[in-house]
Formats: sequence, structure tokens, C-alpha cells
Amino acid sequence: MSAPPPAPVREPAWSLSRSAISLWVAQGVLTTIIEALVVTALIVFVPADAGWWTTLVRWGGPAFVLVTAVVDIGVQPRLRYRVHRWEVTEEAVYTLTGWLNRTWTLVPISRIQTVDVTRGVFQQLFGLATVAVLTASSQGTVRVPHLGVDVARRVADDLARRAELVRDEAT
Amino acid sequence: MIDPPEVPGRRTSAWVLLLHTVTFRQARSLVPAVLALGAARGFDGGMVTVVALVVGVTLLSLLWATVTWWRFSYADSDTAVVVTRGLLSRSVRTVPLDRVRGVEVEAPALHRLFGLVRVRIDAAAGAVAGKDEELVVDGVPRAEGDRLRTRLLTRRRPGVVPGAAVEGPALPPPDEPEQEIARFDKRWLLYAPLVGSYLAVPLAGVGALFRLLDEVPDRFVPEFGRPDLADGTVAALVVAAGLVLLVVGSIVGSAVVNWGFRLVRRGGSLIAVRGLVTRRHTELEIDRIRGCTVSQGVGMRLVGAARASALVTGLGDAARRGQLLPLGPREEAWSLAGRLVADPGPLRAHPPAARRRAVVRAMVSGLLVLVAGAVLTATQGWWPVLVAGVVLTVLGVPLGLARYAALGHAAGPSSFAVRSGWLVREHTVLQRRAVVGWQVRQSAVQRRAGLVTVLACVGAGSGGYPARDIAADEAAGFARAASGSWADTLTPAG
Repeated sequence: MSAPPPAPVREPAWSLSRSAISLWVAQGVLTTIIEALVVTALIVFVPADAGWWTTLVRWGGPAFVLVTAVVDIGVQPRLRYRVHRWEVTEEAVYTLTGWLNRTWTLVPISRIQTVDVTRGVFQQLFGLATVAVLTASSQGTVRVPHLGVDVARRVADDLARRAELVRDEAT
Repeated sequence: MIDPPEVPGRRTSAWVLLLHTVTFRQARSLVPAVLALGAARGFDGGMVTVVALVVGVTLLSLLWATVTWWRFSYADSDTAVVVTRGLLSRSVRTVPLDRVRGVEVEAPALHRLFGLVRVRIDAAAGAVAGKDEELVVDGVPRAEGDRLRTRLLTRRRPGVVPGAAVEGPALPPPDEPEQEIARFDKRWLLYAPLVGSYLAVPLAGVGALFRLLDEVPDRFVPEFGRPDLADGTVAALVVAAGLVLLVVGSIVGSAVVNWGFRLVRRGGSLIAVRGLVTRRHTELEIDRIRGCTVSQGVGMRLVGAARASALVTGLGDAARRGQLLPLGPREEAWSLAGRLVADPGPLRAHPPAARRRAVVRAMVSGLLVLVAGAVLTATQGWWPVLVAGVVLTVLGVPLGLARYAALGHAAGPSSFAVRSGWLVREHTVLQRRAVVGWQVRQSAVQRRAGLVTVLACVGAGSGGYPARDIAADEAAGFARAASGSWADTLTPAG
């Protein structure tokens, strides 16, 4: 592949928390375990002479689990970490997500309606939190996943305070 | 606990009982069940059972309507409107007046017989859309409906941010009592057969008729002699009759909805009135209008017809309520749009790469059929799929070109515009202040072609308006020009 053309717009400056990688790895491990259990159950409980497709399950199942394990645990977490970027500037919140299909989202602080901080079960284990910035538009939502808890709190407080100060009509 | 309103609760008119009983408003959900029951058991008792059923359902309906009416009351104070309802679990809903975003007064045909109206109070919150955001006060006298409407809407005026309209184009001063902006010309009804949604009206009618015939037990369906389809003239007659039915049905359908459409400006609001059977009275606040969409379907483009709708922040059911011109000549639609949003100037064409992408995308489905057809021909010797694939692929070229021709964007001093779509071409003009965010999207294919899609996030209408496939290096500039200096964040460093 030739050198990729330059990005159409600027890259946001900051990365997510490094713990996000651990979280994604943990999620990958969990998915792999579940898949392995399902495949094992299939192999154990389905009699070998049930039909031609049992051979497919016996050979294809483990191979599928192996491939997804490598992708989910070995490749995807690091790739995601590289891909997700975010930044809070003087005037706006800015994020980049997606690897093949990339999406940059920019929301000015003056148009922020609410700032949410949420923590899922996994996120609590790894000390992470998601910051969601909502506007009047259903499509203009910025979500920064997996920031360190203290960073997320600080960012949310800071954004809420600044939004209060510069709010014009937030619609 | 909510503060009790200082005004005593008001009731809706008792006539509404009669209305709801006649229309089975509450008991309507029972009718299919009863029909199904009847169909399953067979109408054995003959006429007696049927009559008993009808009487039973009617009585039930009356009872239901009475209870609902008895337990329903509403009150409007200086600060809020309170609606109380519910038989067993009482619900008291209080909506502060500054949250009321729109009031619609509608008068369905039966309501008009008794001089009643139905008032819908739109209290949508933020980006959440849904029917339950609406308070409905069904069945008050017309004068009371008008009083409620003016009361709910005028209380809010002081809250309007002064200077909010500065960015918008010059509108006539607001002290004029009433000024007519548009009026429906009956000749415009002739456009109706070329508009998809109106064509759907007779089709839906025919569909409903067939469904009804299905429900009725076979005994009651009269036997038609099977027409002799081999005769060409019969088939031709049926097709011709069907076409006439479509045309007439769509014209009638559009007449029913749009009859006597008027758009007037009163103070800071636009008021749209329309409808033959059900009169609707919708009020839009001009300060909340962020833009305007002029859309034209394929058929409408042939005859130069268009429809215009306003994009209003926080308007529930925006597609219907925002309509400024349901159907009319293109010039009329544009002159209306021009009164609300400044024209950003001529559209800029998108780069040639966008044309290539549009054509390729339009051909992909045809190519897939083509490949499948080739496989089928090779293995089964079955060629029709191959031919269909070739035809579809070839048709993809003009389709792609037409889609490309629809693309355009422009950024002016106080507004910007995007246009796209072939089946329905939508040309949206938005004020700069409408933008609450930007989303720049680039797929892997677009990256190689040097294209991006720039989506303006707007708290009105569909929420986002994309400029599809513009040149990648133009994206930041367009966003900057169409919104403000805050969009400089997007500008690449290099």
C-alpha cells in the first residue's frame, strides 16, 4: 500500500488512559472464554454422526476461537488505543474514533448541554470512566471512552463550568 | 410534591364523551379482538350475536370514555400547565411554560360538529423525540383552545433571548398584527400525483380495503364472476382504471391534508393552518427556526414542484409540523425559504472523485447481480439473472451521475447550504448559529479518493445535515466558513 494520504483535518492531541488497553484485553479474554465454552459444549454434546456439519464444527470451531482470540487479545486493544484520540481546546471538545472508517467530532463548549460521566463494571475494575458530551443535536454527541477516573472528573467539571460561562443559546 | 395550581382544574367538554364513544377511541383496541373472537367462534347466533357485540362494545366504549373524561382535568397557571389523569394510578404532569415548545390546535371533522378542538402541547426535552412528550387536551371549545394556545405561547415571550434574530436575515418588524406569507393555490393540487407520499394515499386505501375483505367471513363476501384475464382489453381497462384511481386518489388525498393551507406571520410566530376534514393550526416560533429544507422528489423535479419545511429547534414531530409549503412551485418554496434564511450563494460542485464514487456505488448492486448471474449461467445455464445484472449495472451509470449532480455545498456570510439525494433531493439552508457541532467522516474508500463527508450537527430537523463527498482538503475550510472560529480546531497543522 502506498503512503496514506494526509488526514483531512487535524488529529486530536491526547490518547486515552493506558489502562484502556488492559480493559480491552480483559474483554477479549472474556469473549474468548465464552466462545471456547460454546465450542466445547458443541463438540462434547453433539454426537459425531449427527451430520456432515459436525466435522465443520469440530475443525472450524476451535480455529475460529483461535483467530478471534489473537485478534481480540493481541491486535485490537493496541490498535484501538492508537486510533482513539481526544482533546479539549480553548473552545471545543474534539475526538477521533475508528480505524477504517474514521470519524472526527467537534463540539464547541458554548453548545454543550450536558456532560455525563459513566462507569461500567469493567471500567470500575480498571479505574476508568467514560465522558459523554451532549448537545441539542442527536448526532452531535461526543463520547470519550476509558479515561482515568480523576481525569474524567476533572474534564467533566471543567467542561460543565466553562459551558455555563460561555453559553449562548445552546440549541 | 408539585405545587397545586392556584387555578382550579378545568374539564374538557362533555360532548367529547359522545365523540369518543362514536369513534371507539378508547375501546378501539378491543375491536380486532372481538372480531377475531367472532371469526373463531363463527357468528353462530347470526344477527343477534352481532348486534349484542356491537351494543356491548359501544357501552364499554361509553363507560371507558366517561371514566377517562371524569378523571381528566387540566389547569394553566402563570408558570406551568398541569394535566391530571388516570383512573387507578393518578398521574399529575406539570410542564413549566418556558418548556412549552409548540402548541397545535387541531379540529377533526367530528370535533368540528360540536365546535370542539384538540390541543396538543409539545414539551419535548432536548434531543429526545417521542409521542409521550406531548400533552393532549382533547375536546375543549374552540374559544378555550385559542385561549390556551395564546396563553401558553405568550407567557414565554420575555424569556426569548434578545438579539437572537440578529444573525438571521431581516424580517419585517414584529408589531404587525397578521401578515399572510403563503396561501395554497388549488392548481397546485395537480402536482400531487407526482409526489410519492400522496401516491401512497390511494394505495394505502386499496390495501386497507383488501385487509378488511380478508377479515370479513367468506359468507358475507359477494361472489364475483372471475373476469376472463385472457382478454387483453379487460387487462388494459383494469390498468387504466388503476392509474385513474391513483391520480384521483392522490389529488383527493393531498386536498384533504392541504385544503385551505395558509401561512401567516403574527408577532414572532409563523402560523400554519391546513386541512379539509381535520383543521390543523400549528404555530412555529421564528426565533427557533434554524434553517429550511426545500425537497423535491424525482416526479416533482419534472414539473418544477417542491415542498419547503422549516427546521425548528426542539420541535416534536418536526416533519409534519415544520411544513411551510406542503406542495407548490419551486419558486414559491424558495421565496419562502429566503424569508427565513439568507441565501448563501450558488452551490459549489464536488470534486470529480465524488462523481467516480457515486457512479461506482450506484453500480455495485448491479455488479453483484451480474456476478451471481454469471455463476448461474455457467452452472445452470440460467441466463435471466445475468441479463438483469447487465441492465442494472448499466442503469447504475446514469443513477450515479444524477446522484453526483445533486451534490453541492456553499457557505455564505450568515448561512450555509448542502444538497444531496436523487430520489428525493433535499436542499438544506442553515443559519450559522444552527451548528452545534461538526462530524467529519472518512471511510477507507473515501480516504483513497481524497474525499470526506462533513456533517453539520444541528439541534433541529433530523439532527445532522451532511455535505457528502467534498474534497478532503476543503473540509476544515468549509466547517470554518459555515460556523465560526471555534471550528479552527479542525484545521490541520501543516
